[in-house]
Amino acid sequence: MGEVNTMAVKPDRPRSIQGTRRRHRPAEIIVTVVLSILALFVIFPFVIPFLFAAKTQLEFAYHPWAWPKSFQVKNFIDAWKAVRIDKGLINTLIVCIGSIVCTIPPAALSGYVFARYRSRFTEILFYLILIGYFIPVQMVLVPLYKMEVATHINDTLYGLFLPMAAFGIPFWTLIYRSFFKSLPNELAEAARIDGAGHWSVLFRIMFPLAQPATVLAVLLVFIGAWNDYLLSLVLLTDQNNFTMQLRVASFLNAYGTDRMPRYAAAAIISAAPTVILYIIGHRGIIKGTLAGAIKE
Amino acid sequence: MVVAAGGSASRKKGHKRERGTTLFVFLCVLPALVFLAIFLYYPIVETFRISQVKTTGLSEEVFVGLDNYRKLFADEEFLAGLRHVFSWAFWSIVIQLPLSFFIAFGLTYYSNRMSNTLRAIFYLANILPSAITAMLGKMVFAPNYGILVTIGKVLGWKWLASADFLGNPKFAFWSVFVIATWAYAGFYIIYFMARMEQIPRDLREAAELDGASALRYAWSIVLPDLSYAIRICAVLCTVGSLKLFDLPYLMTTGGPGYATVTLGITLYRHGFINWNYGKAAAIGVVIFVLSLVFTIIQFTIGKGKDA
Repeated sequence: MGEVNTMAVKPDRPRSIQGTRRRHRPAEIIVTVVLSILALFVIFPFVIPFLFAAKTQLEFAYHPWAWPKSFQVKNFIDAWKAVRIDKGLINTLIVCIGSIVCTIPPAALSGYVFARYRSRFTEILFYLILIGYFIPVQMVLVPLYKMEVATHINDTLYGLFLPMAAFGIPFWTLIYRSFFKSLPNELAEAARIDGAGHWSVLFRIMFPLAQPATVLAVLLVFIGAWNDYLLSLVLLTDQNNFTMQLRVASFLNAYGTDRMPRYAAAAIISAAPTVILYIIGHRGIIKGTLAGAIKE
Repeated sequence: MVVAAGGSASRKKGHKRERGTTLFVFLCVLPALVFLAIFLYYPIVETFRISQVKTTGLSEEVFVGLDNYRKLFADEEFLAGLRHVFSWAFWSIVIQLPLSFFIAFGLTYYSNRMSNTLRAIFYLANILPSAITAMLGKMVFAPNYGILVTIGKVLGWKWLASADFLGNPKFAFWSVFVIATWAYAGFYIIYFMARMEQIPRDLREAAELDGASALRYAWSIVLPDLSYAIRICAVLCTVGSLKLFDLPYLMTTGGPGYATVTLGITLYRHGFINWNYGKAAAIGVVIFVLSLVFTIIQFTIGKGKDA
């Protein structure tokens, strides 16, 4: 109970209720067609910004949904300048990298200890960290902001990614813990008999073995930091520090639909990295996400 | 006290080794604990304290006891947010979960070359930044240029062509809900699929030998087997509605009136627009208490697992 699923790290289970290879039955074809149509509904909204971003403002005003006459690359350039996308991308990248660097090592270290050095003392610490997994971010927004103002780290990028990392550490500790638990003990045991200390076992053997979990963590922490809205909204006030998401969100407030093609272009740029990462690594991302689902 | 798992060897090496182990354990856990202490434990304690004072951040703090809470429960916006937690959770459970169940079942039962691609597509909207999801939602529901309005114009349906979904209190909640379903149902789909794939194949073969149809199999075998997963998802729906902020805030800023206000939006408005820290912290405590209750329910459900 309350354990984290280790689905992420185990090999694929045999697909047990799926059909064995046999001729396609009519029911199967109908269901697949219906599901494909549903999937088209899911994909369709992704086409909208491209439709809008390709048009001139005038074209959009008269025929928002018509096929664009030509592709206006100018919208992307204008959007780039209007919301300083270059600055936004750099800010967001800093937040992402900071978040990765501050989340993963602490989580991997503590996850390792909770998996391999179990005692009453570490159990207590484990539950202490587990608490963080159940705290909604909203609960701590006010004191967090007050504290950042008092220590003058509000409105800085590290003031954003440090708490972001803190909120991510409990989850990734759980993931690393179940990953290290699933690793065979023989290698570490052999190294220990050969006189390797705790640290060299950890860094020479365990961390390299944990690579799959680390790749997942980097991917998902990156996506999470890239997509964040609420924390950035509260903690950043200077336009210069705005991340991509804040820039895109404030764009619509500033211009309304008057600049829709540009806005759509900005949106495409700001969504592209996560979508591209997902297209490349969707198997891993889905697995990693499922690993976070609570297990019996 | 601290012993390496399965390591009787390290136990024999005596005290020096053991002290080294304790130090190692301590140093490994330290970074995580430091992060959590500063950015989580301290703010949690502070939330309870601030929820009992009156302060704007600039002015002196005045202790007012439970006054903030009393004011909250007379505050229409907060009450609307609280109601929406429950209505949002209810409709998520009633609409999103069955929908996800059927999609997941269809993909698993009739697994073929398309299934993996379709699964990836259904989860796609889930990884989109919420600022973008909200923008797409606006493009669907907006007056003048929105896609629904455009469809209304093409078909000549006046009521649809002139509809203002996000500006009409009757429709605003449902417009946000539709977009949320689009964005979030993917998670339930992949989760249900993962569970369905664990059902032993013999069960299906036996059911087919008995002449059971796909629906009969879904109802009599898959649904009971997934009862735990479904209950977990129901809890996730509830906790999710408690934390809901990005989508309604970006699509409607909680309006029109209080039609799409959530607890998160009320908290943000009280805390960071009106600079009423006390009241905002009190809302934080309410969110915490409710999520605690839901989490306890989740644990109880987990214990009652029979399969």
